[in-house]
Amino acid sequence: MSLFLQLLFNGLTVGSFYALTALGYTMIYGIIRLINFAHGDLLMVGAFIGWTLLTTVAIQHIPIAAAIAVALLLSMAATGILGLVVDRFAYEPLLRGSRLSILITALGVSLALENGVQLGYGAGFKAYPHLLPSVYLPVGGASLGVTQIGIFALSLALMLGLYLFVHRTAIGTAMRALALDQDAARLMGIDVEGVIRLTFFIGSALAAAAGVMMGLYYSEISFTMGFLLGIRAFTAAVIGGIGNIPGAMVGGMVIGLLEAFTAGYFSSRWSDVAVFGALILMLMFRPRGIFGERVVERM
Amino acid sequence: MRLGAFAKAGILGRGGVALLLIAALVFPLLADNYEISVGTGILTYAVLGLGLNIVVGYAGLLDLGYAAFFAIGAYAAGLLTTKAGFTYWETVPASMLLAGLSGIVVGYPTLRLRSDYLAIVTLGFGEIIRITATNLDYTGGPDGIWGIPHPVFFGYRLSTQRDFFYLVLGLLVLTLYFVRRLAVSRLGRAWLGLREDEDAAEAVGVPALRVKLLAYIMGALWAGLAGGFFATRLGVVNPQSFTYLQSVLILIVVVLGGMGSIPGVILGAAVVVGLPEVLRSIQGWRMLAFSLGLVVLMLARPQGLWPMRGRKVAVPRESPRPARSEIAAPETGYEGPLLEVEGLRCSFGGLVAVDDVGFAVRRGELLSIIGPNGAGKTTVFNAITGVVAPERGAVRLAGVPLIGRAPHAVVEAGLARTFQGIRLFRSLTALDNVLIGMHPRLAVGVVGTLLHAPHVKREEAAAAATGHFWLDFVGLAGKAGHIAGELPYGDQRRLEIARALASRPLLLLLDEPAAGMNPSEKGALMRLVARIRELGTTIILIEHDMNLVMRVSDRVIVLDRGRCIASGPPDAVQADERVIDAYLGRDEAEAEAVEAPLGPA
Amino acid sequence: MEKQKLAMLVAALALGGAALAPARAAEGPVKIGVPAPLTGSYASAGTDIANAAMIAAEDINKKSGVLGRKIAIDTADDQCDAQIGVQAAEKLVQSGDQAIAGGYCSSAAIPESSVFHDHGLPFVADASTNPRLTEQGFADVFRVIGRDDEQGPFAANFMKNELHAKRVAIIHDNTVYARGLAEQTRAALKKLGGVDIVYFDAITPGQSDYTSVLSVVKSDNPDVIYYTGYYSEAALIVKEARALGVKATLMAGDANNDPTLLKVAGPAANGLIITTAPLAQFLGGSEVQNFIKEYQSRFGHEPGPYSVYEYDAIGVTAAAMDRAKSTDPQKVAAALHQTKDYHGITGTISFNQQGDRENAVYITLIVKNDQFTAYKALENGHWVDVKAASKAKAG
Repeated sequence: MSLFLQLLFNGLTVGSFYALTALGYTMIYGIIRLINFAHGDLLMVGAFIGWTLLTTVAIQHIPIAAAIAVALLLSMAATGILGLVVDRFAYEPLLRGSRLSILITALGVSLALENGVQLGYGAGFKAYPHLLPSVYLPVGGASLGVTQIGIFALSLALMLGLYLFVHRTAIGTAMRALALDQDAARLMGIDVEGVIRLTFFIGSALAAAAGVMMGLYYSEISFTMGFLLGIRAFTAAVIGGIGNIPGAMVGGMVIGLLEAFTAGYFSSRWSDVAVFGALILMLMFRPRGIFGERVVERM
Repeated sequence: MRLGAFAKAGILGRGGVALLLIAALVFPLLADNYEISVGTGILTYAVLGLGLNIVVGYAGLLDLGYAAFFAIGAYAAGLLTTKAGFTYWETVPASMLLAGLSGIVVGYPTLRLRSDYLAIVTLGFGEIIRITATNLDYTGGPDGIWGIPHPVFFGYRLSTQRDFFYLVLGLLVLTLYFVRRLAVSRLGRAWLGLREDEDAAEAVGVPALRVKLLAYIMGALWAGLAGGFFATRLGVVNPQSFTYLQSVLILIVVVLGGMGSIPGVILGAAVVVGLPEVLRSIQGWRMLAFSLGLVVLMLARPQGLWPMRGRKVAVPRESPRPARSEIAAPETGYEGPLLEVEGLRCSFGGLVAVDDVGFAVRRGELLSIIGPNGAGKTTVFNAITGVVAPERGAVRLAGVPLIGRAPHAVVEAGLARTFQGIRLFRSLTALDNVLIGMHPRLAVGVVGTLLHAPHVKREEAAAAATGHFWLDFVGLAGKAGHIAGELPYGDQRRLEIARALASRPLLLLLDEPAAGMNPSEKGALMRLVARIRELGTTIILIEHDMNLVMRVSDRVIVLDRGRCIASGPPDAVQADERVIDAYLGRDEAEAEAVEAPLGPA
Repeated sequence: MEKQKLAMLVAALALGGAALAPARAAEGPVKIGVPAPLTGSYASAGTDIANAAMIAAEDINKKSGVLGRKIAIDTADDQCDAQIGVQAAEKLVQSGDQAIAGGYCSSAAIPESSVFHDHGLPFVADASTNPRLTEQGFADVFRVIGRDDEQGPFAANFMKNELHAKRVAIIHDNTVYARGLAEQTRAALKKLGGVDIVYFDAITPGQSDYTSVLSVVKSDNPDVIYYTGYYSEAALIVKEARALGVKATLMAGDANNDPTLLKVAGPAANGLIITTAPLAQFLGGSEVQNFIKEYQSRFGHEPGPYSVYEYDAIGVTAAAMDRAKSTDPQKVAAALHQTKDYHGITGTISFNQQGDRENAVYITLIVKNDQFTAYKALENGHWVDVKAASKAKAG
């Protein structure tokens, strides 16, 4: 029982990171139907920017909470702008063209970000400073970290915030309109390119937040961290029902739990097989994902 | 973007191909070992790219796990040589067969998925294969398989870089020989049709699922071939060679080169393998330069470096005249009404679109269905043609029940249709559109295509002639080589009719063929309809142009809110009070101006 | 237009055909080729290797070079991929290298070794620990690092006789190296007897969270957990195991003495024991300190676990050229076989008939006060402190 609880906690923690990453994926896919392979790498860039800020002397002299907040916000802003730039120069010219050429471009951007960071920061992985409290609470024979609760709560909050933004604001409505029919949205006077750029900004900023949080929580970042994470997050988005914001959250949790329980009750080396196997079964029997039925709500 | 760039004398003549082959044969004699090893890498990726090109370029199915088939071929060769004592040559068919079979395994459960989902599922499949190979002891775990023997060719043991270059060159030629056949075959056209518009392809008689599955199988074969070569060349097979990145590289070969273009794929392979080698001098910067180069190339040439281009279609000087038995609607020998529809009911999420509609059509008759927008006219077509499944009711064509048949099977039964919003294969030529329409009437299978048997050539030649005839028949004689999407609106309407006629239907369903036409085009359409009837083809027409309806119809039925409210000869219907209230209105002109909404098809 | 495209295709097929003079020049610098993964997921280790090769060559050139000539390092990226590895190897052969010293992943190094063998070039591997590398029957393949089947028994002996472990958990990452070491350790433990192997399985490398695996390991209640993979995962495992309250002694294989591990794991790393070759950096000696200093000032970070091996691989090769009084590959290979008690920064190096390092000796390191410190060595079947052992020898 204590093992079960422990695996549950672990799964939800890992799932929170997948969920956060999946949010950006699902937003961008929802709007322009692009699997943005560079998304995971934007997360990685965000983590490195955060690392640079947190290891810079200036920030080390201010209170920890303030340093984290500054690093998080600046990294989000910088990565958001990077995402916007990528969209403007690499994707926008291809939006009307073949879906595959834009996909290859996304792969190219992903490779370029990885190799760029490798050259800029060196190939070795980097250690984040230990800033988060390592307080663990005993719960039913398992141990639950205070930071784990924080991460879960934060990802839930970001998901809710994004959901409200998309469903309650004028820009969010424009996003949803654009997701349904780009041409009609344009005719209605919506600045289609502008909204897409904004989506990239928000999605990339969210990825950066996830990246900095991962750095803080695991203390280890590397230029290769984003790609596989991105793949798993995309799987999460599909399982949850792509284009659907609560779906990304639930899909992330499903993948996190699946990994944890496969590792716990079977073997960690089969965890990816379990994840992808579940994905295939899900798509065979419920091709729209868990929340996919609400097509109208897709954004 | 059309068929078989290589095949017809269009882009590279025979001379060009021969020159290229000679260049490839001479290359290892002039180059050093390093250059030859790079050349071998390029050719290996060319074989892989040609295989993936079938899946991605022709059939339009995104595959991010293609390295799995490569792995299966390599492991098959490795295991069979080291554990079962096969020679390399004996493993070739086995590698291809196993890869092909796994094409079925991936393809079958995923075929109904949309293309983007397909991407993630194939990616997952690729990872599953790699992880399984890493985890199982039988495949050597992470170590993989070692000591795979080099091939022996009539007593000569292949071992140098040059030997392997020639071997892979041979494999590439073999691959080209078959792949280029596929491109210009009945199957190849069906793939292109699927890529352009899956629903339309199915609706004109292409069995989409089977044809997609064949794309997976045909694509996987060549990865199996390349895998076996990879194993025997390096003597080692291990899971690290078949990562996700490998699949991505092969996909880049195809998309960068130009999807569907055979020379493009070869060029793509040269860039993907060669560019990082050229960039070796900048050491650690080379992958950054490569990835940025990739982005720039895609931005500059989104269609690829050497895009697929249409073969030039020679328009025959004289209009071919196929025998009447080749073009007229076939005899059925069935005595009753050709089409019987009884108690048809369709609903979408509680909204009843068609309720208890029933009618019969005699052979040779022209029946028009009219009614206001949303009356359920197109839904009736969709239910008859298998696009939507009705809740209740029966549809029989010449006594054969149609309900439950897939759309392509309905076409096989003798029913063809056009669409309210034109659904042509827009980037294919007019002739190819018609030839895809002939799909159910042609017989050549995969094996015949690959072997290029004489009966295949005959069938292809006859099909082309018949295709030209249909184009001529609808008045597009000179436009066989034109791209469908670039034709004027009226021509596109006519082309859609030609494509439908090409299946030699017993019954033709025309969904608003006159929409958007000017009066003279409408006149031509009326004459065309009359000539179609001369072929013995029965027609059901949905049309808003009452003038046209009244002039061509034998009988008219009127739908309103999903129900049949009147039926009879045109004059009688026109005078019917209910019809006037529901549809025609007191002022006929008003109704004519109304455009129908897009149907669910 | 068409002709142009045809020409393009022909040109593309001949890509990479920048004319290179393949002559092995008798004048100018002596070129030593270094294949290593400079891009891709293993770029970190590959860069450490290439950097170390650079410094080794400069150190030799500062003295007198080789046979009065300078050494030039010729790196080639193999991305740890078999096919790209073969291309890289052919590239090195073609650029006129006289010997090869490098390589990282066995999966690429072994296909590369057969290319070098075909051209008669000696290949001194710095990091491939897979026994197969030297068991192909090639007389010109050597390695300066120990083999998995030597480190495994050493680790097993330490667990049983020094730590007195009754229950051992072994975790690997399903790479060739880690699985090899894990299996050799398991086999040795079984042979020793009296130790239960309570857990033996792989993790999926590249993830960030191994807490779930560790939860299972914890419930198996081991005395020792031995991780045989690489330091990026080891750092996380150490940190996460301690956070989970795992009390067992944590051990890791020789791919783990990287300073970043200590930074990531923080205080949790204290008490971690690593099995490794007796690297001079832990035994003192000015040469190695100079190397570390030089490396740090040049590249801004400390050398990685394999940097020192690469440094010695270059050194051994240069020394063999000096002894052979020639750079002729065959003579150099013969001289390499004669290598006896070469004084390297990873200890003394001699090669056996097969080309493996003779009597590869191991020691253990322990993390104390956030630093790797020399710990125990095996002397005549007894475990003694390393410092004492080396002093005793000196005295």
